[in-house]
Amino acid sequence: MKKEFFITRYDVKAENSFALDDNIMVKDGLTTGGSKMLHNFVSPLQATVVEKLLDAGMELAGKTKLDEFTAPGIAAETCDILSGAVGAVSEGACKIALCNDVSGKIRRQAPENGLYYIHPTYGTVSRFGLIPTVSSMDQIGIVCKNIDDGFNALGIITGHDEKDVTTFPQKSYAYTPKEGGFKIGIPSNVMELTDEKGRKAIYNFTGKYDTEETELKYFEVFAQVMYILSSAEIGNNTSRYDGVKFGYRTENYTGLNDLYTKTRTEGFGLDMKLLSIMGAHVLSRQNYEAYYLKSMKIRRLIKEHAIDLFSRYDAIALPLKLNDPDPYKNSALYAFATLCGLPSVSVPLGSDGGIQLISQVKNENSLFGICKGGR
Amino acid sequence: MDLQTVLEYEAMVKLDLPESERIWIAEKASMLEDSFSELSKVDTEGIEPLISVLDLNYTLREDIPIKSISREEILSNSPEQCDGYFQVPKTIE
Repeated sequence: MKKEFFITRYDVKAENSFALDDNIMVKDGLTTGGSKMLHNFVSPLQATVVEKLLDAGMELAGKTKLDEFTAPGIAAETCDILSGAVGAVSEGACKIALCNDVSGKIRRQAPENGLYYIHPTYGTVSRFGLIPTVSSMDQIGIVCKNIDDGFNALGIITGHDEKDVTTFPQKSYAYTPKEGGFKIGIPSNVMELTDEKGRKAIYNFTGKYDTEETELKYFEVFAQVMYILSSAEIGNNTSRYDGVKFGYRTENYTGLNDLYTKTRTEGFGLDMKLLSIMGAHVLSRQNYEAYYLKSMKIRRLIKEHAIDLFSRYDAIALPLKLNDPDPYKNSALYAFATLCGLPSVSVPLGSDGGIQLISQVKNENSLFGICKGGR
Repeated sequence: MDLQTVLEYEAMVKLDLPESERIWIAEKASMLEDSFSELSKVDTEGIEPLISVLDLNYTLREDIPIKSISREEILSNSPEQCDGYFQVPKTIE
C-alpha cells in the first residue's frame, strides 16, 4: 500500500512546488501541528516563508505529516516513522519541503532516503507563522533532492523580517558554492561511538579533503542539554493549549480546571506529556540551578567551543547514527548545530548512508561548495 | 522519578494521566534524570548562561498602528464564544 505523506494536498505540478510541514501556517488553511490539540485550527495568517515562495512563483503542493509539534521525542516508535516532508520529496510529489527539525530526525532521515537537508543559520529565516516548539532552537529548513534547488529556495526564504525580531538585519542572502580550499575537522571522540558504516561514510566522503582529527567537546552532555532546554521551552510554549482560545476542547467537563486538564490529557501525545512534565521538573525550584541554569551555561561553553573549532575548520563532519540505537543518545549528534544556531547540511551518500556537515554561522556557502564537490 | 512525583507534576501542567502512561513517564523521567547527573562533571564556574545564540540588539519597530488579526478571525477558532468573548465554564459559584 502506498504511504500517504500529506495531511492536505493540492493538485499542482511537482516540478515547481513546495510542501510544508503542517506546523507552518497558510492563511485560511488548516494547520494542525501534527497534534489532536490543533485538529481544527484554521490559520489566521500566512507564514513569511510561504509568502516569499509564492511571490517567487512556486506553488504549494500541500502540508506534510510530522511528529507532534516536531518535538524531540524519545518514544522509539515515533522516531522510526518516516517524516512526511522526507517522504513527499522522496516520492517526487514536490521539489522541496520546509520543516522545523529540532530533534534531528529529518536531518537523519533525509540522507537515508537519498535527500539533502539544509538547516540554515538561526536568525536567517523568518519564523513568523511557524508554530513555536523550542523557540531558542526552532529554525525552518529545507528537504531537497538536488542541492542547487535547496540553496535556490534558501535564497528566497532568507532575510530580515520585521514580523520576526529574531532575524538578523541583513535584507537578503546570496548562496553560491565556495570554490575550494576546505579543511574539515573529524571529531574522533564521536567517531569512536559510531558504527563501521558511519565511519566509512565519513572517511569515504572526506578522503579527498584536507582533514584533521579533532575533538567535539562536551559531546557527552549534548543530549542532556538539548532535552533540558527543550522541555523547559516546550512546557512554556504548550501552556497556550487549554481548550479555550483555539483547538481541541474535551466534550465532558465539570468546571474550568477540569476543562483544562481533560483537554490537555486527551489532546497531547505521550512524548508531549513527558516533555511537559520534564519541563516543570527542570524549572522547579529544587532543580532550576542544577539542570536548567547549568544547561544554559554549558550551552555558552559549547558555543565558545564552536567559535574555536571554526577558526580552524571550514566544516565539521559528523555521522548520522551512533552505535547505540537509543533515540535520546542519538539526539546528541544533531544538538551541536541546533544548540549553537549553526548551519548544517545532511548529505546523502548512497550505500554509505550519509553524513552531516556543520559550519560556522552564515557560512552556508562553504557547505554548498563541499556538496558541489569543491575541494 | 516515582509515581507520586509524576502525579504532582501532572497537577502543575494540567494533565491527568492514565496509569499506563504514568508508569511509562516515570520510567522515562528516571532514565533522563540519571543521565542528567553527567552535567555536574562540566565546570561552569564563572560562566554566564546563554539565553540566545543571537548577538543582536533587538530594535523595536516604529510605533505605527498596523492592521492585525480581527476579533472575529480570532474568535472563529475558539471552541465556544459569546458576545465577542471566549466562553469558559462558570468559575464563581
